[in-house]
Amino acid sequence: MIQTGLIPNAHGDLVTDASYDFYGLRLATCSLDQRIKIWQLDEANGTWSTEDDWKAHDAAVSKISWAHPEFGSIIASSSFDRTVKVWEQAAPAAAADQQTNANAGGQSSSRWIERAVLPDARGTVRMVEFAPHHFGLKLASIASDSILRIHECLEQPSLTSWQLVEEIDVQTVADGGWCLSWCKDRYWGEVIAAGCGTSGTIKTSTAVETTNTPSSTAYAITSVAWAPLCGRSYHLIATGGRDGHVRIWKVKPGSDDAAEGDHEAAKWTAASVADFDHHKSAVGRVEWNITGTVLSSAGNDGRIRLWKATAGNVWRPAGSVGVEQATGETSTQTENKDVDMDT
Amino acid sequence: MSSTENLNLLPPLIESGRFHQLVKAGQTISSSFSPLDNSFSAFITYANTDIPSKEKETKSRTDEEQPIYFSGIDIVPSSERRLFITDTLIIFAAFNNLLLSAENHPVGWLQDDNQVKLMRKLAIDYVNFIKECWVHASQPIPRPEGPLQFSSDHYRSLYTCFSLFVVLYIPEPGYDLAPVGDELMEWLNIHFIEPSTEEGDHLSALEKPWEDESFWPYLTRAILRGLTKSSAFFLGTLLRHESEDLQRLTTTLESLVGNQPRLQEFNAERDFAFSFRRWKDKVKALRIEMDEIPEDRRFDEFDNWWDRLSNIVGILEGRFEVIKRVCEDLGGDWKEVCVAWSIFVDPRMQRQHLPDVVSQVLGDTPPDPTNLEDMIHAALFSGRPAEGLRNASQLDRWLAAHLASIMAPLQLIDAEDDEDADLSTRDEHVLSYADYLHSDPALWRVTVEYMYSCGDVGKDRADEILLRVPLRLQEQNFEEIKIRAGDVVGVLKDVNQTCFQHKREAVRRSVCRIAAQTLVQKKDYGLAVSYCISAEDWVGLGSVVDRVLDEYIINGPQIFSQYAVAIAPSAQKLQTPQGHGLSVHRLVFTVQYAHLHELFERHEYQEAANKIVAIFSQDIVPKSWWAIVLCDAVQLLESGPSLLFSSSSASFMLQKLNEIFVRTSQGSGDDYLIVLSRKLKGGGETEALENLRGVRLALARYFARCTVFSAQ
Repeated sequence: MIQTGLIPNAHGDLVTDASYDFYGLRLATCSLDQRIKIWQLDEANGTWSTEDDWKAHDAAVSKISWAHPEFGSIIASSSFDRTVKVWEQAAPAAAADQQTNANAGGQSSSRWIERAVLPDARGTVRMVEFAPHHFGLKLASIASDSILRIHECLEQPSLTSWQLVEEIDVQTVADGGWCLSWCKDRYWGEVIAAGCGTSGTIKTSTAVETTNTPSSTAYAITSVAWAPLCGRSYHLIATGGRDGHVRIWKVKPGSDDAAEGDHEAAKWTAASVADFDHHKSAVGRVEWNITGTVLSSAGNDGRIRLWKATAGNVWRPAGSVGVEQATGETSTQTENKDVDMDT
Repeated sequence: MSSTENLNLLPPLIESGRFHQLVKAGQTISSSFSPLDNSFSAFITYANTDIPSKEKETKSRTDEEQPIYFSGIDIVPSSERRLFITDTLIIFAAFNNLLLSAENHPVGWLQDDNQVKLMRKLAIDYVNFIKECWVHASQPIPRPEGPLQFSSDHYRSLYTCFSLFVVLYIPEPGYDLAPVGDELMEWLNIHFIEPSTEEGDHLSALEKPWEDESFWPYLTRAILRGLTKSSAFFLGTLLRHESEDLQRLTTTLESLVGNQPRLQEFNAERDFAFSFRRWKDKVKALRIEMDEIPEDRRFDEFDNWWDRLSNIVGILEGRFEVIKRVCEDLGGDWKEVCVAWSIFVDPRMQRQHLPDVVSQVLGDTPPDPTNLEDMIHAALFSGRPAEGLRNASQLDRWLAAHLASIMAPLQLIDAEDDEDADLSTRDEHVLSYADYLHSDPALWRVTVEYMYSCGDVGKDRADEILLRVPLRLQEQNFEEIKIRAGDVVGVLKDVNQTCFQHKREAVRRSVCRIAAQTLVQKKDYGLAVSYCISAEDWVGLGSVVDRVLDEYIINGPQIFSQYAVAIAPSAQKLQTPQGHGLSVHRLVFTVQYAHLHELFERHEYQEAANKIVAIFSQDIVPKSWWAIVLCDAVQLLESGPSLLFSSSSASFMLQKLNEIFVRTSQGSGDDYLIVLSRKLKGGGETEALENLRGVRLALARYFARCTVFSAQ
């Protein structure tokens, strides 16, 4: 583990989400300060500089997601103001032509134009994620009303009209962890894993059916991440829970040949392949790298922990980073040795 | 390559063990992965459950800084390491080509002598290359690119391990059942030089070297290691020793040591064995001669020379307990004992018998568990290549990956395919190395090369990397403009080629689609169209063409024509429609329509009239554009004195016009009038229809002129 960079002060208030673009060259961050910032990586020296910065919502911004680049430079943001907004970066030429940033109160420096506001949620929107590109320009969001909504863009170049194509009641318990993650693979169609409420259940939903999957504790699941399939014969879904556990589930799709009406055979099944309680406190976020070989988890112990599959598909801890002051001489020494501050 | 497992980021946000205070204040830590290089960001966020409100206690940090930290899993390869990585790829690629050609041959072809020979050659290439790196890293030269990332000792470890692997597992074809002792001794002597040259120099300078305490250990080890020259030299010095017994014995010993049969001196192993037996009989005779010397004549003033000599003769006799004891006394380890066994105890020992001996030796002198190099040696000696790989992966993932890639075709690993596992042992190690390479995005070509050499899992992972290679189409620099002028776009071209090379068509198309989208943003419609066509993305092509047509609506015919010229070559290539549907039609229309405006520009009205008729009769005008083209026709209808349209063509246009009126009255006005309405900048259907009534009037007048003309 090695520190490679630092943005000393990203926002005026707590950062709520940071999301890399498709290439990892830009980072979108959002904050309780209601703003979105786009940071650009200088590959020569590893530093990040602000490319754009604007007030995006009338309340805290909760999550941010990049659309696949074949649709252009587009992000979606979800907010406690109960909306999801879609933003497009104006092309350099277009930016000169037209007034940028329609958003009231925004800064004129931003080249991001508000293309759509999706006001369907009846609660604060906690999560938004674009669908894998092969399903078209779609996004899923989940709000504190425990409804998973899927919107589809009807007119692509203009991005202005979005249709609510799906509303799925995930579960109605307040104060849960609201999370969702798309299945990245095309073959199984549009499948989402979503969690909500305190039942500790993650549901995998397709347009036609909803299946309860992992259920093991009475603790809320705060985060779910569907690993890229990458040639494996089974799916991996990671969950982080308030019980302090990071779990990895091996998920197998229902049988294709299941007879019509044979719901058991058609259901997705899940089995736990790893269960870690290293955080010893609630886990707030789990995420996979692009090849599904490393899982990261963030816990209330103040550490980001990494997990890797080793020989025989045994998952093992693969290091961690934290923001507490180092203790004792040994850790200070290792810091001196390994921390490489490029900023 | 490995780095600190648990890192505390700088600057720290809170004292050690106090993070719970932040949690109490409704805060926690969060992170996100970068697709670029397996690095990740970390930042403090609000705890998911708390609905943040300004009144809540998040205040405790709101006035403070909100840093975002960035960390990487692996240390990015730099300086000599990068060279090492890129240069060994060449050997890996050659090796991989050999494996790929095996697909065109019957099963077992790879295990054929010729192929094994080739594999051995490539493996030796690796060894030689590592050796060069080691030598280079050992040189005390100034290094302007900064200090070495990996020490010369690291490369030395790789060198010993890789060359041992070659000795033990890839013998020259036909020699796999030959005695292995000499080769092992050669390996040991190359990599673990004993006794040291300095000691030899020191001793050779002495008049009576046996009076030096290092003399006997030096001589014993030289003989143990089969170093005939220095053995002979120092045995020769003993002829000056005052003891006549010793002088006599030494004379015999010198000839025995000098004439020890070596395998390479014989054509047949049987002859070697026979000769060795006869030699051993002479050793026994020497022992008998030694035993006859009375106890009191076995000393000189410094030492019991007899005991020392007895050790040497014991080694030659092949007494295991003597060899083991002597090795221990000399500071030698299990390796030295095992190799000495293969020379003196069982000189006919084959590779396959080595593990039995090794297990016996390791029982008494185990390898050093803190020394990965030693652990790898032990596993390789013990005939456990898979275990060797596990140790190697801890030492350097490079080593494990490259050993595994040779072990697999030699069927040393993965002999039994585990049905459940998606990854073979080979792929596991190769992919682990590729994962490390991914820490440097600039090494993407190398990274995917290794990944694509694997099974489906590796290939799919490579796809993810390849898709995310930044195309840098956004960057405006002079160099790029130069490249683009030749229609070859730098990185994109490389990525395309890599896709072709590894037959990853889906990735190539996806990359082309992304490129097309980016190029459209830059209004580089020509390249965008060619990438859409290359990706066979007809929907995408349609939207690019629409953007070009939009240029007409927004910016007028001149600017439109400029852009349309750029897409014309692509339209020409697609002239033979292969059922690509509407998009291609629209592309062809765009080009033709731009041509029409050029004709207007040049006042070639007859040609322009013909063009209008042609594009209507070819049925390539989208419905939404009928109204626009008809409006364009007005100036031609009204120009005189000659009639530019035949009356049948004019009737045809009237038909189209009427269809628009009829359909609009039926409520489909949008389909026909949308473009014209947009062209009229905010004018609705009514205004568009007004314009079309103008067309109708022009047509009516034209028909009148036709009638007059025909009456004349």
